[in-house]
Amino acid sequence: MNRYRTMLRTDMRRLFTSRMFYIMLGIALAMPIAILVMTSSLAGTEMKNQQTGEVTVMENFNSAWEIIGTEGGFKLTGGETEKPESSDHAAAMAMNMDMRSMCNINLIFFMLAVFVCCFVGDDFRSGYAKNLFTLRAKKGDYVLSKTLVGFFAGAAMLIMFFIGAVIGGGISGLSFDLGNAGADGLVMCMLAKIFLMGVFAAIYVLAGVFAKKKTWLSILLSLGAGMLLFMMIPMMTPLDSNMMNVFMCLAGGVLFALGIGQGSRLILKKTDLV
Amino acid sequence: MNAIEIRDLRKSFGSKQAVRGLDMTVPEGAIYGFIGENGSGKSTTEKLLCGLMIPDGGTVRLFGRACTDAEARSKIGVLIEAPGCFPNLSLWNNMMIHAADLGIENAGREVARVLKTVRMEGAASNKFKNCSLGMKQRIGIAMALLGAPRLLVLDEPINGLDADGMRIMREVLTDITKSCKCTVLISSHILTELEKIATHYGIIRGGEMICEMTAEELDASCRAYTALKAADMNRTKLLLSSRYSRVEEAEDGYIRIYDLTTAEDIAGYLYENGVTIQEIGQSKINLEEYYIDLMNERRVQ
Repeated sequence: MNRYRTMLRTDMRRLFTSRMFYIMLGIALAMPIAILVMTSSLAGTEMKNQQTGEVTVMENFNSAWEIIGTEGGFKLTGGETEKPESSDHAAAMAMNMDMRSMCNINLIFFMLAVFVCCFVGDDFRSGYAKNLFTLRAKKGDYVLSKTLVGFFAGAAMLIMFFIGAVIGGGISGLSFDLGNAGADGLVMCMLAKIFLMGVFAAIYVLAGVFAKKKTWLSILLSLGAGMLLFMMIPMMTPLDSNMMNVFMCLAGGVLFALGIGQGSRLILKKTDLV
Repeated sequence: MNAIEIRDLRKSFGSKQAVRGLDMTVPEGAIYGFIGENGSGKSTTEKLLCGLMIPDGGTVRLFGRACTDAEARSKIGVLIEAPGCFPNLSLWNNMMIHAADLGIENAGREVARVLKTVRMEGAASNKFKNCSLGMKQRIGIAMALLGAPRLLVLDEPINGLDADGMRIMREVLTDITKSCKCTVLISSHILTELEKIATHYGIIRGGEMICEMTAEELDASCRAYTALKAADMNRTKLLLSSRYSRVEEAEDGYIRIYDLTTAEDIAGYLYENGVTIQEIGQSKINLEEYYIDLMNERRVQ
């Protein structure tokens, strides 16, 4: 336990002294501002596809919170899954592949992939992992420490994105109307997303320990896995989330992180470490 | 007790066998020079020894225990390839992180001590990425020395060191083996430096240990020769070749006669033939020459 705490402290120290972390936070803050300001200034602009002749009109966000999440998704009430009723909800939910549904807070889950892979890759490239494992550091401790750091970094990025959304909404003059979601829905949505980070952080750590020094490979694997699971995020964490969404994401985050963590530990145990 | 005992160690990467049934014995307190060509399996053996790679077969024992034993492994200091520092952190912070991983109490004092040992106390605040290659090597050695290890595994630690760095390294290694009874396994291509400190040698080729010996045994195996310089080197060489079976012109410009004979005998013979000798003396081949000879013999075989 002592050793694990040391490892976690070291990783946290590295996180806070890493330039990349602050760059990521900066991007997470700037991204919603840029998206909201751009979409507001381009709203109503018609874009014609030269090949098909199809005209697309750029639509603006109806509310600044749309960049955080849309209402709908799988709203969980007392263990039952309530599917979205209206066609509007369904459209807003997942299949709508327009800019608004793609350029939102869920991009942070991809940014985290790059961060975690670089963080783990650095361990192997610098020789730090070699030093640790020579001293018989527990592989499980290593994986857990990296997952927690990834989770923490992801949560910090999500919060920065949220702050960016508030600033961006203010600059672009968008409404902050929460509709049916309410303030509690927004808070639950953010909490659910933060807890869901645990699953993604664990997956990215798995890719990192698999690829070891080959950061490019771990980033590719992570982005691939992220894409497969990307549609799960708006479904699990809609803007009108409730306690059940939060609980499901928390339980899922913990269980998946532990399960995937076991996979990472096995990889470290069964493969060469350098 | 032996600090390291390796028996029939095997490791392959795909179809390439990097280590083939390697046996190695390193007595406690020895400075073991591990010598071999590039790609001969030195680093792989060291990584297997430190548990960084999984062997295909064979056993590795450290201080009589299996190398997977936490107690045995907790007292190893390692410098293999890179020192394991984060580029954006200062040397001090990097050392403190490693000290924390080792669970050292009074980490600050211990870090200061090892930094002083490698004469790097003045550079503690430098970021690792701004250090020269030699400084990085010294820091790697300092990190390996943290926590007073019983076994040091150093892979090419002299590479990139200047003359002063090499001298410090020699002093440090000799000192810790004497004062702390620390065992050192050191691989290097700079055999002239290795020769000054090693008490035991192991020569590896193609993943196999071809010979292990003590410094005394090596000394006894090294052939004696008579080296000379004369006014007319070509004629001198011709004359000597007609009388002695093994006469060679060395890279240093001297003619060497490896036959068992005395300098007086050679000088007398050349004097009779009207050759003026400028210098003459007797010596033994050094580790580097012995190693090259051994490798050449193996190649012929």
